[in-house]
Amino acid sequence: MSEVRQINKSKSAVPKIAILALAIVFAAGLFVVGFDQGHIFSLVYGEQAFVDLTIHELTHDMRHAAGFPCH
Amino acid sequence: MKTIVFISIVLISGALAGLVHGTVNFTIVEPYLDQAIGLENESLFASGEAEDTLEFWAEYESYRIWQKSGQVLAGVILGLAMGSLFGIVFALSRNSLPGKNDVSKSIILSGLMWLTLYLIPFLKYPANPPTVGDGETVVLRMILYVSFIIISGVGVVVFYKISKKLQNNKKYVAVVGYAGLMMIAFAVMPDNPDEITAPMNLVNEFRFVSVLGVSSFWVTVGIVLGLFWKKFDKTSKLEYS
Ligand SMILES: [Zn+2]
Repeated sequence: MSEVRQINKSKSAVPKIAILALAIVFAAGLFVVGFDQGHIFSLVYGEQAFVDLTIHELTHDMRHAAGFPCH
Repeated sequence: MKTIVFISIVLISGALAGLVHGTVNFTIVEPYLDQAIGLENESLFASGEAEDTLEFWAEYESYRIWQKSGQVLAGVILGLAMGSLFGIVFALSRNSLPGKNDVSKSIILSGLMWLTLYLIPFLKYPANPPTVGDGETVVLRMILYVSFIIISGVGVVVFYKISKKLQNNKKYVAVVGYAGLMMIAFAVMPDNPDEITAPMNLVNEFRFVSVLGVSSFWVTVGIVLGLFWKKFDKTSKLEYS
């Protein structure tokens, strides 16, 4: 009985490093598409403005289409 | 399955589903975005904030093309992100998911995540085309939307765990508890503060195609990750590589 349990436990073991890596991809990707406000950064970084605005415009239509709050 | 294989199939299925999502949006959502932005331009001309000149349209065309082509790329980025979340949840919950094999388990989970992380929050805070939102309230709207999704997602997990602890494994308790929680959240959370100034039929049609787009992502990611899992998971467990 205890042996069966042992096997079941090892089956559900998921490497923590994989979870961490995927969690980072999740957070970074979601931020870029859903929440990055290029406008705000462009005020702070000046020269960087073009790059930031570019990213914002690039993800802009998906932001609306996927239901994220925008303008 | 080796760790690197696990990460790879999760990312590939997320990217593929995101590519589908972006392509679907490019085809069916863009016409509505064009209409909404057209209305926005008209009100800019009417208020004198912009002039109806050739330069205006040249500039407009150049950034609209950029925005449109971004749909597909942003679809892939969003797909990688949501696909990663899906992969994490699938790996952790696979053994307790209903379904005969990995493909049906994966499709069931994607349906569940579509419902709880997307459709139910959408009913409270539906997608809006450009021109509807007020730039001043965007942070508030983000906080509301994200909070609602977190309440829904955490609610599912908590009530699932409660149902497992109950005797006779009364699964319906979790469903009733979750439904109750979401009804309270619906009633208590403030509505989107913005007034809808665009024509309602444009907004409704936009919302409809937007749901189709997001649904295409969840359908694809469920099927593709399930198929990959079935193909690569020979040992039926994850191992450190
Ligand atoms: Zn916008």
